[in-house]
Amino acid sequence: MPNVDLLRMTISELAPMIQNKEVSPVELTEAALAEADRLQPMLNSFITILHDRAMDQARESEAAIARGDYRGPLHGIPMGLKDNLATAGITTTVGSKVLANHVPDEDAEVIIRCRDSGAIFIGKENLEEFAAGATSNNPHYGAVHNPWGLDHIPGGSSGGGGANVAAGVTFASLGTDLGGSVRLPGTFCGVVGLKQSYGRVSQRGLMVTSFNGDHIGPMTRSVADSALVLQVLAGNDPLDPSTVPVPVPDYSAFLGKSLKGLKMGVPSNHYFDLLDGEVESAVRGSIAALEEMGAELQEVSLPMMEYIGAMRISAMADGVVTHEAMLKNHREDYGPDVFYRTIPGQFVLGKDYSKSLRVQRMIQEEYAQVMQQVDFLITPTAPVPAPRIDAQYIKMNGEDHRIRGPGSGLISRNTSPMNAVGLPAITVPCGVNEVGLPIGVQFIAGPFEEALLFQVAANYEQVSPSQGLRPAVAVGA
Amino acid sequence: MSILNETLKAMIHDYNGLELSDEELELVRPELESYFAELKKLDDLDLSDVFSGRLMQLPD
Repeated sequence: MPNVDLLRMTISELAPMIQNKEVSPVELTEAALAEADRLQPMLNSFITILHDRAMDQARESEAAIARGDYRGPLHGIPMGLKDNLATAGITTTVGSKVLANHVPDEDAEVIIRCRDSGAIFIGKENLEEFAAGATSNNPHYGAVHNPWGLDHIPGGSSGGGGANVAAGVTFASLGTDLGGSVRLPGTFCGVVGLKQSYGRVSQRGLMVTSFNGDHIGPMTRSVADSALVLQVLAGNDPLDPSTVPVPVPDYSAFLGKSLKGLKMGVPSNHYFDLLDGEVESAVRGSIAALEEMGAELQEVSLPMMEYIGAMRISAMADGVVTHEAMLKNHREDYGPDVFYRTIPGQFVLGKDYSKSLRVQRMIQEEYAQVMQQVDFLITPTAPVPAPRIDAQYIKMNGEDHRIRGPGSGLISRNTSPMNAVGLPAITVPCGVNEVGLPIGVQFIAGPFEEALLFQVAANYEQVSPSQGLRPAVAVGA
Repeated sequence: MSILNETLKAMIHDYNGLELSDEELELVRPELESYFAELKKLDDLDLSDVFSGRLMQLPD
């Protein structure tokens, strides 16, 4: 099969062909690496491309299949890794100059799980400095470019992964999501981005992060592929106390189930309050499509969302403590956005931090009550399509909103609530705007209900106006 | 709430030894102001009975 056809496929399509030896992991990896090299000057989506290591892995992968040791759907699949996931013997910069030469001596738990499943790692992907922002415009390694519009951001902080999956370089990329950093590249790059329940996937080996609300999740070309990757990542990690020993179901088994009778909650406040017109139109279209498929619409109210901004208070304090030692010794190595955004955290009083945690509890309780009334929620993933790389502000409802650096927060206003609440959320492409930039719809389910999330998302994916769309830079597009 | 530049400078220096110019403080202020703004919103919210084991008073 020509490389151009291989690179357009999904994991679900490729896996049986790899298992049956119709597709060679070596040839697939060569094709993915060649595509990474071709697109790197355009997208700047990698910090490190692992040519030799990936080919070594591919040869081992192929040999394993030849001796009958097939390890499952990720076997022989080229993946990307965000460069804040610890990789033994491979530089892991976290997008920073401070850690430019940092080489961990052990792998993150998710890396171990993917490697044991036969996945091939083709590179460490570019991201926002310290994963602390939503643009992936990195002051040290350069801006990541959106494959759908090279002058636009891919979203962040896992922007390299979103760009690579959309452009056909990687079949899946692992990102991290502390405020939407998997789901925002998902929506801006027109791919599927999953933030599973807090505690579902080990965070061990996720570097320079927060105690409160970070997640490692996949970006993929389809909902079915997202289910396959989560199947590998999910499960208790005895060495990560944040994980929960909840049984892991067979996620793929839920993909074909009907939506008939499921209650779909549409929030009457917050999520639709500050929204680009084309985004609102696309998401309202998604709601109508799901009703046609049998989901029952129910409006829900979330009054505590008025106070969601209080989560910034605890995040500020957390941030300054996380960076404390590095700030003292490496001030000159920090980019301005992260530096000036982090310093104010030192002014947060302990009582205000405690208040922030109480507000978080009240918001969590409110969602717990709402999820007793409905099976899932539907919202826009981001309030706008991908802004331009050089934009500092976006004007909405007559006001300028900062989109990067100190005081920003518009882009993540619909994704960050689920980091505070811990519920699983997935973004699925739901169309493009008039200049061809992708738009995403977000589905939210109850705790550890990822299977239901995949069921809803897979049904919607079949009727999404995004079906079959690919960015022009992708090979064969 | 407004904090004088000199006060900010002194606190930042005491905390981590960093010296910031007046121009740099202007870059720090947006995040600081967002902290005060979010805190102000909490004035009308009763947080006194929020604890991990509280009953939710679910409607029938």
